[in-house]
Amino acid sequence: MTPLSLLLTLSALLFSLGLFAVLTRRNAILILVGIELMLNAANINFIAFWRYGPPDVDLTGPLFVLFSIAIAAAEAAVGLAIILMVFRHTRSTDLNRLDSLHG
Amino acid sequence: MIPLLILSPLILLAALGAVWKARPVHAALLLALVLAMIAVLYLTVGAEFVGLVQFMVYVGAVAILIVFALLITRPGDEAAELARRPRSLAPGLACVAPVLGLLLYAIGTGVPGEAAQDCPPAMPVTALGLELFENAVPAVLAVGVLLTAVLVGAALFARDPASKPQPPIS
Repeated sequence: MTPLSLLLTLSALLFSLGLFAVLTRRNAILILVGIELMLNAANINFIAFWRYGPPDVDLTGPLFVLFSIAIAAAEAAVGLAIILMVFRHTRSTDLNRLDSLHG
Repeated sequence: MIPLLILSPLILLAALGAVWKARPVHAALLLALVLAMIAVLYLTVGAEFVGLVQFMVYVGAVAILIVFALLITRPGDEAAELARRPRSLAPGLACVAPVLGLLLYAIGTGVPGEAAQDCPPAMPVTALGLELFENAVPAVLAVGVLLTAVLVGAALFARDPASKPQPPIS
């Protein structure tokens, strides 16, 4: 197994674990944990293709990772602020209780 | 290659714990461990600057933010989580298995088996900075506007509307 295949396999497994957490967890904060795992899996792909891809590549991979980290930090801040607001209304972070828009 | 072989199973084990642990604080701390080990992975493959940014932003900010959010909110009922788990396990696996199978199939058939480069491609911080502020200026500006909007928006969301403003200190 080449290093590129190893890193891509690690990324695929990490993405699947994050997806599993998003689909099965009910606590909103733990769903955010799953989303962070999926974002990091994508970042590993960028670095893997930059490091073990064709020679003489430019810096597009690391640049994408830097932007991705900035946007992920913004997403976590807004997500947790929304969760705090929801908690203030419902006294819970369980997504099963958020059914006030249910017809 | 050897650091990758050591780090990859550790990252996967910690991620499995973050996904599986019923107690939210344990899951958040295991996520911080995963993020830190991914930063070490970046350092070992030659992306030092990205590894340090990962340490500062993910481990230093995002993971701690999640832990603080867990401290502020009341954690969910662990017994209810454990009781719910058998019912959600099969649907979750049924959704994840095709995705994982497709990804592994694509990796198995699409990745060339040729030998990797011996040394990592150069990533001097000077070149990265020039690339950022010469060729990617619109993206840098857009991220700056986004982060400002997020700062204001998160402060507005998290503000308690019932709280009264404090009188100025005289």
